[in-house]
Amino acid sequence: MTEETSEPEILCEVRRVDKEYDQGGGAVLRVLQGIDLAVKANEVVALLGPSGCGKSTILRILAGLTQPTRGEVLDHGVPLRGLNPGIGFVFQSFALFPWMTVSRNVEAMLEARGLPREEVAERAARAIRTVGLAGFEEAYPRELSGGMKQRVGMARAFSLEPEMLFMDEPFSQVDALTAESLRAEVLDVWAPRDRNPRSIVMVSHDIKEVVYMADRIVVLDANPGRVRTIVENTLPRPRDYRSPGLLQLVDRLHDIITGMEMPDVVEVDGAAQAFEPLPQTGGGEIEGLLEYLDARGGREDVFRIAADTDREYGQVITATNAAELLGFVDTPHRTVVLAGEGSRYVKASPAERKAVFREKILELLLFQRVRDAIREADSGQVDREYVLELIAMNLPSENFEATFVTFVNWARFGDLFSYDETTEVIAPSEEMPVAG
Amino acid sequence: MDQRPPMNPRLAPVFGSSTSYLFGSARRLWVDLALLASLGGIIFGLTRLAAEWTGTLRPVFEIDLSPRALPYYAFLSLSRGLAAYALSLIFTLGYGYWAARDRRAERVLVPALDILQSIPVLGFMPGLVLALVATFPTSNVGLELASVIMIFTGQAWNMTFSFYHSLRSVPRDFQEVATLGRFGFWKRFRWVDLPSAAIGLVWNSMMSMAGGWFFLMVSEAFVLGDRSFQLPGLGSYMSVAVARGDRTAMFAAVVAMVLMIVLLDQVLWRPVVVWAQKFRMDESGQADEASSWFLELLRSSRLVASLREAAASGGRRIARALPSRAPGTPSRGRSARAIQVVSVGAFVGLLLLLAAGSIGLFRLFGKVDGASWRGIGWAALLTLGRVLLATVAGTLWTVPAGLAIGLSPRLSRILQPVVQVVASFPAPMLFPAVVALLAAAGVGIGWGSVLLMLLGTQWYILFNVVAGAMAIPADLREAARIYRVPIWQRFRTLYLPAIFPYLVTGWVTAAGGAWNASIVSEYVSFGGKELAADGLGARISVAASSGDFPTLAAAVAVMAVVVVLFNRLVWRKLHGIAEERFSLTR
Repeated sequence: MTEETSEPEILCEVRRVDKEYDQGGGAVLRVLQGIDLAVKANEVVALLGPSGCGKSTILRILAGLTQPTRGEVLDHGVPLRGLNPGIGFVFQSFALFPWMTVSRNVEAMLEARGLPREEVAERAARAIRTVGLAGFEEAYPRELSGGMKQRVGMARAFSLEPEMLFMDEPFSQVDALTAESLRAEVLDVWAPRDRNPRSIVMVSHDIKEVVYMADRIVVLDANPGRVRTIVENTLPRPRDYRSPGLLQLVDRLHDIITGMEMPDVVEVDGAAQAFEPLPQTGGGEIEGLLEYLDARGGREDVFRIAADTDREYGQVITATNAAELLGFVDTPHRTVVLAGEGSRYVKASPAERKAVFREKILELLLFQRVRDAIREADSGQVDREYVLELIAMNLPSENFEATFVTFVNWARFGDLFSYDETTEVIAPSEEMPVAG
Repeated sequence: MDQRPPMNPRLAPVFGSSTSYLFGSARRLWVDLALLASLGGIIFGLTRLAAEWTGTLRPVFEIDLSPRALPYYAFLSLSRGLAAYALSLIFTLGYGYWAARDRRAERVLVPALDILQSIPVLGFMPGLVLALVATFPTSNVGLELASVIMIFTGQAWNMTFSFYHSLRSVPRDFQEVATLGRFGFWKRFRWVDLPSAAIGLVWNSMMSMAGGWFFLMVSEAFVLGDRSFQLPGLGSYMSVAVARGDRTAMFAAVVAMVLMIVLLDQVLWRPVVVWAQKFRMDESGQADEASSWFLELLRSSRLVASLREAAASGGRRIARALPSRAPGTPSRGRSARAIQVVSVGAFVGLLLLLAAGSIGLFRLFGKVDGASWRGIGWAALLTLGRVLLATVAGTLWTVPAGLAIGLSPRLSRILQPVVQVVASFPAPMLFPAVVALLAAAGVGIGWGSVLLMLLGTQWYILFNVVAGAMAIPADLREAARIYRVPIWQRFRTLYLPAIFPYLVTGWVTAAGGAWNASIVSEYVSFGGKELAADGLGARISVAASSGDFPTLAAAVAVMAVVVVLFNRLVWRKLHGIAEERFSLTR
């Protein structure tokens, strides 16, 4: 351990960064808001959040691949112009050129830097050895398994000996056992203080993975992406997945995430006219959650559900929030409890289920307004544009295309409206109550 | 390939290596000798070609109809086709790259390409011939170049479209790797852009070559007002044979053409297709195991191997000699600005060119009177009807045939290569025979021209139906079998929807080809007399050969407008439906 007397050096940093995308028609979708984050020397930083929280975008802004809409990006205290010169990047999809062999994939990066030929060959061979792929130099990527492909991706990043290693969900497309060993190997390469990479920035949605790897865990919130909190992880290395310290930290992260994603106190804005944002999940997911709870005595920890069903925790939380919005479940703390209405739903016959679901979504303002519009329209139907506009007007910060997809899914699931994709027309289904 | 005589296993460790060396080298020596001999042949051919091109201008070459003259004519036509292909490739890389990478220019370049591909070769002919012959008044170069560029106009456009689309859809991850790796322009082009586009480019190259041959007769022998031109070549040979009604010569020309196409297929396209397999993006390992004896041969040749080694080391030496700058140096800003200036300049130049062209065109239009315009409009309707009829007729027979081929692995293995060669054969060479048959059957050229169009364009539909049938997932076919879906219903509920997206692609290409083919199918000269059906294609042919440029310009412009409008209004809509409702990958 080297002594660090002064403040640790900051390698790169974003300050008050916003990122917005044009949704068309003047509407703006804000994916990042007010992001402040500094990457210090000799640390592993993990960005943790549900999918769609913009964590990959933060990584790409730090790398210089994407420009923020507002805010500053600094590299060693100097505003970053163009690409960050000192990074290696590992992609979720591996991003290997299928027409190049393993060694060509690595060498191409080195050649592009103008290194002499001998050094290119020497460094590529070393990097390939480091990741344990010696003997596979002449193989093509399509001949390799997912884990081995990601080893090539890592060799490509290591070969440049970058100051920082950026990894975007590096192990999510790798089988669980291989991912296990890759995590340890990455940490082995990082550990020596006198060698590059000095720091690692990784993006992940796997809580155990970030607790195992990171010194600091940046917990992000979605819609728009914001830094919720930063958790310091001082557990000694090498870490053990079963150590009480690690399990405690995992538990703490669970609390933080449920605290922000599944608030116990549901806000009752004085203005009852506010549209409820629809959690973007399908009716089938909600029904599945209810069935799952019913089969387990009516209550379960939300992260346990995610582990049991092999889903990303963000997806389970979204389904839970949708079920709660419809009054099927309660969520005291981290637990999901089947409410009375939920039990009624599970016990009902298929036809009755539709009726219950219909009744529940008609308690939401968006569905009420569309139903009223259909009743008032001479043609007895409304088109997609009308609903999109309704969403954009009343839920300006939501992605209105995605909300529309959810709207159609729920309406179909409850047999309330039908939607024809080619004519883009929403019409009442036979089951829609005619009178208010 | 690698059959060696069995050997005493105990001796193998001792003698195995030495004998295998002997076997290998015996074969390699043979290959090397053959390659050297053909290299000599190519060099000889090139000198003859140079002499031909630089000879004094001879507008009408006297064609010798004896079969002995054919190989040389075929060689000349082949070299024109290959020269045109080289030109198409250069054009494709430049134009496609510009359109894909310059957002501003893209808005002009892509519609312009759409228009260019709807202009039949005769629309380009007068300008090209007059300008080039005037530029080289004393030598054959001008005329040869005009012919090459006419073939080029039948080749280039679909290649360019394919390249442009491939560049636009390079996966984002690959682009990010290139950016992060600081690939310069050349490395990005060679390592990312070109490989991503390779497979599309290869298949379109094959189609383009066939498209170029289609107008070979027109491109080698043409009449412009009171001047007629005839270059030595297979196309001219055929034209003369048809004009004189010499059946033996016609037959010989068809055989020569078939041989040339088979040769090109075996020696050029097969090897390139097999080699291009390495640029596949999809990870699913099971591609159709294509193989090429010629590529195997080249790979086993020591001569080729040492040439490649020499080329590679030479390339490295050149690369080292070139000024290489460290990444991230300040010159990046300057070069970016330079690119900006060049791209704006090029864009302005493009706009000026288009403006000048439009002004010239409108001047010509001024000379066309109202009655002629009405006549052209009526002719356009007639040709539209024929094009649609040809497309429908093509669909009627190719859908069942294509399904039969595509659904049976055995049939597709046997027929696929055959169909490819047959489809590359330029249908106009068969027109005389077909016209004779039609005349015997008492069918006029009005209806007969539909059949002639069909001969040239049905293959596009067939190819696509076969591809679509082969892409139907096995589980869908199994489900249809398990539930005993009767054949007619299976056709309606599974096969037709599944191949629909492919069918639309086939229709677009076939209809485009039929429009272009109308210039040769509505106006056929046979045995010294002209058969013409009223239609846009016939009007273009007549206007070109009589040197009536205003009418030619008007008819070509009308054809371009009708084709582009039809593409926009009908085909694009169908394409949208196909993508939305019948895509199996979504």
